[in-house]
Formats: sequence, structure tokens, C-alpha cells
Amino acid sequence: MSYYDVDAILTDAQKVPCTFELDVPGLGFLDNNAGHTLREGTRVELPLWLSEMLAVSSGSTSKNLVTLGLPPALAPRVMNALKADPKSVDLRALAQHFYGLGARILELFDEKEICEVLMQTFRTRAAEIADHANNAGVGSRGGAAVVGDGVEFLRGLDEDERALFRAAHDSAKAMKVWMGEMKKN
Amino acid sequence: MALPLPPGLTPMEVAFFCEMEMITVVPRQRLESLELLGGPTPVLKPPQRANLPLWLALLLKRQRRANILPPPWLLPTSLERILRYETETSPNAFSPPPPHPYAVTARQAPTDTISPPFLPSSTDDAPPDCLPYHWLELGEILLEACSDDITDPGHVRTLLRDLREVRMAKMRASTKDFDAEGGGVNSLVGVGAMEVAEGRQFILGVMDGLRKLGASKEAARREQEAGGEGGDLSEDDEMEM
Repeated sequence: MSYYDVDAILTDAQKVPCTFELDVPGLGFLDNNAGHTLREGTRVELPLWLSEMLAVSSGSTSKNLVTLGLPPALAPRVMNALKADPKSVDLRALAQHFYGLGARILELFDEKEICEVLMQTFRTRAAEIADHANNAGVGSRGGAAVVGDGVEFLRGLDEDERALFRAAHDSAKAMKVWMGEMKKN
Repeated sequence: MALPLPPGLTPMEVAFFCEMEMITVVPRQRLESLELLGGPTPVLKPPQRANLPLWLALLLKRQRRANILPPPWLLPTSLERILRYETETSPNAFSPPPPHPYAVTARQAPTDTISPPFLPSSTDDAPPDCLPYHWLELGEILLEACSDDITDPGHVRTLLRDLREVRMAKMRASTKDFDAEGGGVNSLVGVGAMEVAEGRQFILGVMDGLRKLGASKEAARREQEAGGEGGDLSEDDEMEM
């Protein structure tokens, strides 16, 4: 993950629920309560990069500043849906960088099951993406033009899957161009 | 990124490499031996058959100085047989590549590492039931340049398209069995150069995504193994290389 990678930055900017374990003076603006103390036990949504720092760093006391929760995109409800049918879930609506978020969360939590479900989801959807990418036509501006029932599925792809779709579509297109060229000469 | 091209070869580059393949021609005019970088070409005496690099054969064909003999695997009957093998006999694996002409034994020999295009696989004595490394591009180029030398070119073209579809579908489906420990495309034996070039981007993307997702699991597994036995780990690393 490169420092200047826009996707990495956007991944880290996704929100994670945090519960404060201590009173913090002056941080009330996080909870729409500017100028006041942030009370112990308040749940706020913080970007991943910030909440990670707060959760991992421990001050003078042994108590952690915040406790991390699982983001709603990785909630058990979503995991069950993914287990039932990976292809019918709209990942983009859950999180733009769904797999990036998943990988970052798995670094922080020891969740074997989420890891398994995510990998299985990625595998199953990848095969589906490849099929769509190969069948997609070429749009008027050189991009992919999908017709039919694939549109709904492709709209629900997260950023990583979109890159995958683009890669598969580009190589299929290059192949078609080469074969078409052969015909012209 | 300096070069706007993705990693790997473009179809045009693969086709360029394919032009080094040896192919059999029937000359229609005499031609003395040519001193090429890769060695002298045989003297062309009609109607004796001779093996030439594809690019030279195409040149002579274009000048009507030679006819190209299509390789035995490019006949409709052979292609039909291979297609039947791909769809019915082994619907999950790729059809095997042609056997290595120099038997690879336990004793190492300098011929062990020779690979196409330095192994003739498309001359008129090539095995008829195996698709060589450059099958797709060679077939397309020959259909383009010398469809009059090929028996039933329309049917051959359809068969090549069918084979390509079947094999690409296999390649795409194989991503379903990937896992972080390097499983998945369990065998790329028999896959052609053009298919590798076409599938590379997608398969790399899938493997990279799975590696990222499985990174934490992998780290945990390594820690566990390091705690157990040191020797195992290094051996495992070598295997993954």
C-alpha cells in the first residue's frame, strides 16, 4: 500500500464505530456537542486511520482510549447474506472500498470467519465479473457497455472489483482488436 | 508508471513471437540458402518441402513463391477431436501440450529446457492431437494469410473460436478454487501464449485481492509455524517461490 495511493487513502477514510472509554475534554465536537467534554461510553463514528491510532495507542493508564467496533459493512447480518449468496449483495452500498475495509479490519480483529467469508465472496464474484467483462460490448467512448441483467450486479461492485472488471475487459478487448485487425489486412 | 501498457505481453507482441515458429512450406521457386541470425535456411527446391520460420514463410506466400502446409493439428478433424477432448473427456482440465520431442529423463540434459518457438511444433510432422504453445495466434495468422492452403477454412475458424471460448471459460472458472496458499490454477500445462496474455491481468488481480484479504490469516499461520518448528517454515517458503 503506497503512501500516495488514492484508494488506500479512501479506504482509511471509511468510518468505524468507536466507543470512548474515558472522558475527553474539548472533544465534544465529535458528538455534535462543541465545546463540551466527550463523555465516557459515547459511541462516535471515526475514520479508520484515526480510530486505529486511538485504539492502539495507550496512554499513561492501562486503559485504552477507545474500543473499536465492527463497521456496519462487516456486521454479522451482512456476513450471513454473503454466505447465502455472494452475488446478490450490493457491496458498493455497504462500503465503496469493501474489501480494503475488510482487509484493514482483519488486521485489527482476529476474525477467522469474516476472513473466510470475504475470501469466498471475492472468489465467487470474481468468476462472475470475468464472465460479464468478457461479454460486455464496447461503448461509444471506448468503455465497457453492459446490456441485460448484468447491470444490477455490476453496479454493486466495490472499487477493487471494478478494477478487476476493467482489467478483464481491457485484455478481452485487446484480444478482440487483434483478431479484428487480422481480418482487416 | 512510465509505460502505459499493463504488465505482460499485448496480443500483438505474442503474435510477433509466434512468427519465429517453424512451419513447413512447399516452394514454387528455387531459392538459395539465406544466412539468417538464427542460422542458414534450407535451400528451397520445388517441390521439396522445407521448414522455414513463419515470418519468412508468410513473406514467400505473399509473393506467391511458396505454399504453406498447415500443421496437422490445424485440420478440421484434429481440431474437432481436441474440442471433444476439452468438452467431454476432461471438462475441467486443458488438453495436454505436445510431448517433448527429446525425452526428459532424471538425468539432466541441455535439451530439457528448450521450449517453443525453438521446438518445432507446427511443422508437417507435428503431433496432430495436441495444441502447441502458439496455437491460437498461429491458427489466426495462417487463416488470415493463406486460407487457400487450409482445408475448409471457415470450419477451422469456427473450431478455433469454439476452442478459445471453452478454454477461456475454464480459465475464468478456475479462479473459484484460488486460496491464499497458492492453490487454484492448479495446472497451466497446455495453456497457450495468447491465453496467458489474455488471462494474466484478471488472474493477477484476483490473486492479489485474495492475498490482501488473507494476509492476516497468513501472518497468523506463519507465527504458529515459527513457534512450532523453524525448519518447516523455510521449506514452505521455498515451495511458494
